[in-house]
Amino acid sequence: MFLTRSEYDRGVNTFSPEGRLFQVEYAIEAIKLGSTTVGVKTPEGVVLAVEKRVQSPLLESSSIEKIMEIDTHLGCAMSGLTADARTMIDHARVTSQNHAFTYDERIKVESATQAVCDLALRFGESVHDEDAMMSRPFGVALLIAGIDELGPQLFHTDPSGTFVRYEAKAIGSGSEAAQSELQDKWHSQMTLREAQILTLRVLKQVMEEKLDHHNVQLAQVTPQAGFEILDEVRLKEIVDAM
Amino acid sequence: MPDGSYERPQQRQFNPYSENGGTILAIAGADFSVIAGDTRQSEGYSIQTRYAPKVFRLTERAVLAVNGFAADGNMFVKKVKQRLEWYRHAHAKDMPLRAIARLIQTMLYAQRFFPYYVYNILGGIEEDGTGAVYSFDPVGSYEREACRAAGAAQSLVQPFLDNQIYFKNQTPAPGASHPTHLPLPDVLSIVIDSFTSATERHIEVGDGLEIYVVLAKGRSTQELASIGGLQELSTRAEGDRMFVIRRDLKKD
Amino acid sequence: MDHFPTNWGRPRNELYDQYNTFPLHQRPTNHTDTFTDGVQRTQQPIVTGTSVLAIQYKDGVMMAADNLASYGSLARFRDITRLHAVGTSTIVGASGDMSDFQYLQRVLDEIVTDEFTAGDGNSLGPAEVHEFLARRMYARRSKMNPLWNALLVGGIQNGKRFLAFVDLLGTTYSASSLATGYGAHIALPILRQDVDPNPDAITEEAAREILRKCMRVLYYRDARSLDKYQIATVTSAGVSISEAQKLDTNWDFAEKIRGYGSQTQ
Repeated sequence: MFLTRSEYDRGVNTFSPEGRLFQVEYAIEAIKLGSTTVGVKTPEGVVLAVEKRVQSPLLESSSIEKIMEIDTHLGCAMSGLTADARTMIDHARVTSQNHAFTYDERIKVESATQAVCDLALRFGESVHDEDAMMSRPFGVALLIAGIDELGPQLFHTDPSGTFVRYEAKAIGSGSEAAQSELQDKWHSQMTLREAQILTLRVLKQVMEEKLDHHNVQLAQVTPQAGFEILDEVRLKEIVDAM
Repeated sequence: MPDGSYERPQQRQFNPYSENGGTILAIAGADFSVIAGDTRQSEGYSIQTRYAPKVFRLTERAVLAVNGFAADGNMFVKKVKQRLEWYRHAHAKDMPLRAIARLIQTMLYAQRFFPYYVYNILGGIEEDGTGAVYSFDPVGSYEREACRAAGAAQSLVQPFLDNQIYFKNQTPAPGASHPTHLPLPDVLSIVIDSFTSATERHIEVGDGLEIYVVLAKGRSTQELASIGGLQELSTRAEGDRMFVIRRDLKKD
Repeated sequence: MDHFPTNWGRPRNELYDQYNTFPLHQRPTNHTDTFTDGVQRTQQPIVTGTSVLAIQYKDGVMMAADNLASYGSLARFRDITRLHAVGTSTIVGASGDMSDFQYLQRVLDEIVTDEFTAGDGNSLGPAEVHEFLARRMYARRSKMNPLWNALLVGGIQNGKRFLAFVDLLGTTYSASSLATGYGAHIALPILRQDVDPNPDAITEEAAREILRKCMRVLYYRDARSLDKYQIATVTSAGVSISEAQKLDTNWDFAEKIRGYGSQTQ
């Protein structure tokens, strides 16, 4: 695609003659630079796992935050320009709270995902000579995990505002290898435990560093406990069992 | 003043409200709900029309009765229906009863400083299959109850329901206890008696009666078979079913 | 950031409702509201029309109103038409403030023109006109600036008769016989007796006679009425508003009245 680069890749609101929005495509490319993130759905719940790249021994790895809570029944893992995800997650949280306030029920996973994706294409928009709300597409992809009346679900969103439901999905730099590994190993009757181990194994394969409980983060959404990020003790236990 | 002038400047204010009479009532059973209202609309001593519905079907399993200022009531129902349709498009499902109840609260409270002068009663079937009734005040306070009457003849009907549904001031036979939910035929009789009585004693109640009956999924319709003026509103025999019973009330 | 999709793409006011305290369906507006003071609004009607009567009958709907516009107790204008045709199948009759009614006439004519200009084969029937008026009247009452009228809307749509009421509060209702103002007290009982049992049995001539009878009763008792009135009919053939016609009245009974004024015996 870089061969076709032309002046059409400047404006965020200009199609190329071939009908492409280059800035959106570049944004999708940006995700491939992000750390690997994996999500696996099972009948018992959904597991999310991310690699935390610890670039310096002086860095406090616990301050790297790539999995975030949206609501008690919704969680989200990201890859790409993680700062962009803050805007999206903030929106998802407000939308979810607003839904609970107005309807006295938990928002559906798909509805929360849709709300986030509604934001994605709002770059470059302006009215009445005001500044646009956003100047460029988001450079981040999300794995949104949650449980609602339809059971456990896992959604993938990208900077084009497209969202798709997955049984298991990997995004980020190691996503190609990780995805094919998921395709081999995932089966529909997995236990949550099996999913935890699978996500870590997949991460381990694509990580340059040796996987331990400091450079990965694991979270899950279950009907019993809702969304939770596993603490170091539980994470270490799974890493050891792997 | 004696010369006809006013002591102080007089201010007259347009009154944006009116009161259009009528009464509504709803009773929840274990697996059904009955929501009823008369069809008279009046202002003062004048009957405006003998048929103005106050009870509206919202979804397959939810019915809303509105009473008070008719213009506000009609506008409110219109807006609720609009919100239900938006919800259906956004979330690919019908809004559950409890969500409708909360929605009605937020919609009413949003108008806290220029309220809809309307008393709402919402009836239907919950997600768990139980019959439910929610009642509201004009600014959105709400609670789930087993029964509620509102409107012109509330003060006549509610004490009767307290006695017949909640068994207030009744002592059970030794060793026996009062049932928590009444069977459908008993409830229908109580509803009809409530309205014929209210019609007798209240000038703003009468003309016609509309009784909506919502039955939980899988429930037998047997008890409705012998009821006159019955019409089924649900299109599918599986799932929850909804019926309306239309009857005459005295027109004097 | 604004978390309400309904606001997206609209002019923003970052200072207003920064913390999204509004429920989703209530889109915050940036313009001023009803509480903005200093505006004097309609507090009472000035030049007024009295009752309008209307009934459904065999061929459609018939409506009657006299030609008087009063200024208080002064019979100010004696050749005002209070019946207004909207399109080809609707009649609107107005009581209450005549300037507000004339404003509504202009608005209705505009929407009929707009609808015709669209040329999409749609035309406004009585149900649409009534709904439009109901929305307008309710919106204006909600701004505490009402259009001071009680209106009857009648007509024929898809072969079915339509007759409905709307007033300054936005209150609406429908029946086979309707009347506004004094007519609701004096004429409506007579109309209901004649019409309600079976509107289909009433011929055009019978309908005309029923309305004439009621207009006469009103003229005898309503001090703000006139013995000159018009009748409008809407049938499948279209709308027609009659020329002004005179009521034949008989005041012989007045001689026999005792107990008022100087006639004490």
